[in-house]
Amino acid sequence: MAEIGKPPRSGVAGLALRMRAPPLARLSPQLRARFGAALVLAAALAFPILHGNDADIDAAANALAFAALALGLNIVVGFAGLLDLGYAAFFAIGAYAYGVAASWQVQPAWNGFWEPFQWLDLVARVHHAGGDVVHFQVSFWLMLPISAAVAAFFGVLFGAPTLRLKGDYLAIVTLGFGEIVPIVVRNTPSLTNGAMGLNGVAAPHFFGYDFGIRATPYYYVAVALVAVLMLVSRRLKDSRVGRAWMAIREDEIAAAAMGVNPVRYKLLAFAMGAAFAGATGTLYVAKLQTATPEMFMFPVSVMILVMIVFGGMGSVWGVVVGALLLQMLQSWFLEDLSSWLHALGRLVHVAWLQRIELASSIELIFGVILVVMMLFRREGLIPATRRTPALALAEQSAQPTRGGFDHLPGIGMITQRESGRLLEIKDLTVNFGGLAALRAVDLAVPAHGIIAVIGPNGSGKSTLFNAVTGLLPEHSGTIRFAGEEIGRLKPHQVLERGIARTFQNIRLFPNLSVLENVTIGMHARLSTGTVGAVLRLPRNRREEAEARERAREILALFGNRLLPRADHVAGSLSYANRRRTEIARALASQPKLLLLDEPTAGMNPAETLELAEQIKSLNRLGLTIMLIEHKLDVVVNLADKVVVLDHGEKIAEGPPETVRRNEEVIRAYLGRSAALA
Amino acid sequence: MLEFRQVDTYYGDLHVLKSVDYRIEAGEIVCLLGGNASGKSTTMKTIMGIVRPARGEVRFEGQSLSGVSVAERVRRGIAPVLEARRLFPRMTVYENLEMGAYTRPRGAGFEEDLERVFALFPRVEERLRQLAGTLSGGEQQMVAIGRALMARPKLLCMDEPSMGLSPAYVEQVFEIIQKINGQGTTIFMVEQNASMALQIAHRAYVLQTGQVVLSGPAAELRENEQIRHAYLGELKVAAE
Amino acid sequence: MSETSVLLQQVVNGLSLGAMYALLALGFTLVYGIIELINFAHFNVFMVSSFVGMWALQFLGIYGQSQALTGFALAGVLLFAFFATMLAAGVLGVAIERFSLRPLRGASGTTGMITTIGVSYILFNVILLTVGAGSQNFPDPLPVARWHFGGVTVQLKEVLIWGVALLLMLGLQLFVDRTRLGKAMRATAQDAEAARMMGVNVDRVVVTAFFLGSALAGAAALIFGLYYDYTSFIVGYTAGLRAFTAAVLGGIGSVTGAMVGGLLIGLIETLGGQLIAVRWTDVIIFSILVLVLVFAPAGLLGRASPTKS
Repeated sequence: MAEIGKPPRSGVAGLALRMRAPPLARLSPQLRARFGAALVLAAALAFPILHGNDADIDAAANALAFAALALGLNIVVGFAGLLDLGYAAFFAIGAYAYGVAASWQVQPAWNGFWEPFQWLDLVARVHHAGGDVVHFQVSFWLMLPISAAVAAFFGVLFGAPTLRLKGDYLAIVTLGFGEIVPIVVRNTPSLTNGAMGLNGVAAPHFFGYDFGIRATPYYYVAVALVAVLMLVSRRLKDSRVGRAWMAIREDEIAAAAMGVNPVRYKLLAFAMGAAFAGATGTLYVAKLQTATPEMFMFPVSVMILVMIVFGGMGSVWGVVVGALLLQMLQSWFLEDLSSWLHALGRLVHVAWLQRIELASSIELIFGVILVVMMLFRREGLIPATRRTPALALAEQSAQPTRGGFDHLPGIGMITQRESGRLLEIKDLTVNFGGLAALRAVDLAVPAHGIIAVIGPNGSGKSTLFNAVTGLLPEHSGTIRFAGEEIGRLKPHQVLERGIARTFQNIRLFPNLSVLENVTIGMHARLSTGTVGAVLRLPRNRREEAEARERAREILALFGNRLLPRADHVAGSLSYANRRRTEIARALASQPKLLLLDEPTAGMNPAETLELAEQIKSLNRLGLTIMLIEHKLDVVVNLADKVVVLDHGEKIAEGPPETVRRNEEVIRAYLGRSAALA
Repeated sequence: MLEFRQVDTYYGDLHVLKSVDYRIEAGEIVCLLGGNASGKSTTMKTIMGIVRPARGEVRFEGQSLSGVSVAERVRRGIAPVLEARRLFPRMTVYENLEMGAYTRPRGAGFEEDLERVFALFPRVEERLRQLAGTLSGGEQQMVAIGRALMARPKLLCMDEPSMGLSPAYVEQVFEIIQKINGQGTTIFMVEQNASMALQIAHRAYVLQTGQVVLSGPAAELRENEQIRHAYLGELKVAAE
Repeated sequence: MSETSVLLQQVVNGLSLGAMYALLALGFTLVYGIIELINFAHFNVFMVSSFVGMWALQFLGIYGQSQALTGFALAGVLLFAFFATMLAAGVLGVAIERFSLRPLRGASGTTGMITTIGVSYILFNVILLTVGAGSQNFPDPLPVARWHFGGVTVQLKEVLIWGVALLLMLGLQLFVDRTRLGKAMRATAQDAEAARMMGVNVDRVVVTAFFLGSALAGAAALIFGLYYDYTSFIVGYTAGLRAFTAAVLGGIGSVTGAMVGGLLIGLIETLGGQLIAVRWTDVIIFSILVLVLVFAPAGLLGRASPTKS
């Protein structure tokens, strides 16, 4: 079976590798990627030795700082899909955190409180004519993580009020925060020296070696920072955490319904992105040894956004390359081009050519890049989603199978037999702007049963599912699942309890692969958190490998239909395969109760029969099923009990045969001729 | 009057209508049956020109509609009654009716058409100054049909006119559809309520996963085994 | 001056600013109402228009503040300046829609918004690179005339601003309520697909929204120049953000809401500056924006909610 990991085949290193090297091509993609990354790192480390120009090393260090910022913003915008237009605020917070902690700006009077800090060498006692004062001299190395933490705290603080907002409003609010932070800096001179800027920020020391104003040591710290942040980004992206972010980006409601807590993961993205910026801010200010509010204004936020748009949102190598290219453009290429133009102007005696300063038009160029990329290459230079190989002929055709499934992989929860009523709904009423979508509906689903909900379009069937799965908090009545009231739970909590669902109009994550879609279904059953994802402890590796294996097994249930397409993006599937993937995703969450909203819609009779038998077999394997279905033959074949809704009211309930003869049902749903026949 | 010739349509990667042929003669009521996601609404959008066929062509009164704008289609006499009514909720009933006549220069028989709508739906005249969003579902359906009639259609395309209506209203709506047809308007109707639809329709097409799988006179389809099975609640429990 | 009359004077000033913000907010609301896009380019359409207004007045030979005109000459100059500025702004708005946004119609998520940020940046830098960073003295042909009511002074230019703003807003309301195209705009805002099915040319509606919104920004820009007697490449940013806040406060998508929101933001700016401190004005206005979005996302008069359904 092919390796599932996604090596950075598309990186610059990958490009270089593909061009030569038949022997290299025989290496596994993962090894090749590591080899490529090592080459890039070696080149980065050798650069200052091979190229002694201090100004160029300085520019390279700055470029790397922006690459680090781009990596941070990429987590927020690229992974989690939250457009942040005030990202420079966190850069500023990190910068001022170090600036204040390692300069003469704040000098409180000395007292006993400071003594322990003096022992820790965080502050010094300075003798002063008017009484001794405290001098802050916190180490740069200590401040790197502290600044990251402080910025992360502000990330959560700024993120919290914006969580419920749609993307475009979120952008405006973040723009506001990006605006407020420099204003606050300017207006609190006692802490920040206001518009004058902080001065005399201490340079870092490394075992007695003073970094001073040389560029090279900062360059190496920047290389290390970018390398670490790239590693963190890549590991997060390919983990349970990264999948949760991308699921929110693709479809927040579906993500929540599959067990991802959107509030928690959005805040985590804000915090993580802010932490990257905080650490980078500390490095940046240590290098400059000064900080002014002007360094962190809106244009900086836009520049970082341009970098990730240019490089490829969501692509770790892409955003780094984007940042480096644009920085090189700014500090080298435009200068060179300008001097060539000046030379040309002198040659042909054209005065205005000699005056052109392209470097000052960098922002204009940024604007053009944004527009051009959006119009012509939205996925950026190095796209995050890779192309998938075409299927072999044998993989393309799939014959309908009969008889359903004979096993269900990785099911621990549903083998335990429940008895009595698994789901019990009492007096459920849902109003949409004064109109009752559901009116006092009572419903019970026995454990291990199959219940079908039928009714004309618009009768409230999907509303019922939405209420059960926590998508409609504004309802009255009680919903009990396995004895517990779940009416007030959030969607992800409902899934954790063991209810998974599909949607009438199919809500897959279109830009994620089929395998990733199914793996996201397991979110609630896996435990890897941020730390585990970054460190990749043996426990986490094992969990991830098992999860992928189980996801493949679930895909394999559908025979040749899904497994060959495991690495295809879900958006490229046929209608019927989308339905199947959605069911596979729901099964991956190991539910006790499966809610299927028109599972056979858009399928032909053969496919319908196949799926109906599969649903039946799921029930045989222990799963309780509630389904909405229009195809009455499917309903009759599958269901133990049928519930009929009309205008939000339950008008009948019972075995299919009885319901079919019910006068009211015939009138409302089946039509007059059925009654006559 | 309306003809689909081997029409294929796509939404992105998704192949929706697959080589579909329809033929609707002047004066008919033709009904299109099919489950959700079978391509019914796409058919309606293709007729109106919101979705363009990737292959094949749609012809109206003998002329191809390729490249013809939505407005021109309305002007030539095709008007839609949209699924779930889709009135403009914060405009008055009167303004909604005005929107129906959007493509025709004001004045040309506007009052006359208004009278015709009022004659069919006296309730609409009573509610004229009310915001459309405040009406009941049945009243909204009347306005939606009235709005389409304001375009003076030769062909009325109705997408699930019975959806979400109580049984009493459904019967009323179907009676009105017959009345409008009796006044000379051809009707092409998508319906879930197959038995009602087949009672008033002359002919019907059955659509399944984007393909026409069955067509013929409504009376014949009513007796068709497969249709009775799938759409009319004539259920036979297949042996396990 | 007494405490009360100082505050009353700030109310007068706030109404003038508010009238300007309201005109600018209408542009956000018209476009958002129809294609649900926050148009960042609007910020700098305003800024570019202020330069157009300046050039229009200079074209008529008016420089600086010393050449006060009266009577028909004044009326003619103002009419020309408003006409030229609004027309140029409208055309600029239409061009932006046509070339950078129409190809993206239907693209997902933040694509459109990122594009408008790019366009805004381009406009900003084109002015910066061609005109320069310095403030420009804005020609002002209005004679200095003031009236005193108790401790409050009202200037002629303020009366003019209120008059122009009132006239334009009334005109817009009439257009949207009464005309065929105006009704098509409302219909498209409420249900674009249904409007299309009625034969409405949605592209034309979108172009109209951009034209009207940008033209109103043009009027706001001229008012800005006449009120402050200067313009510069940075004026779009602050004014745009305040006007956007006004649109949100009033309820984005609502024409009346934008007008009410604009006046409120104008008053908050002057009174807040008076009662707290001018240097905190932006913080106050952003706090309002965040509070409104968090606690009353539909705004004062809005219906469309900026939270997820």
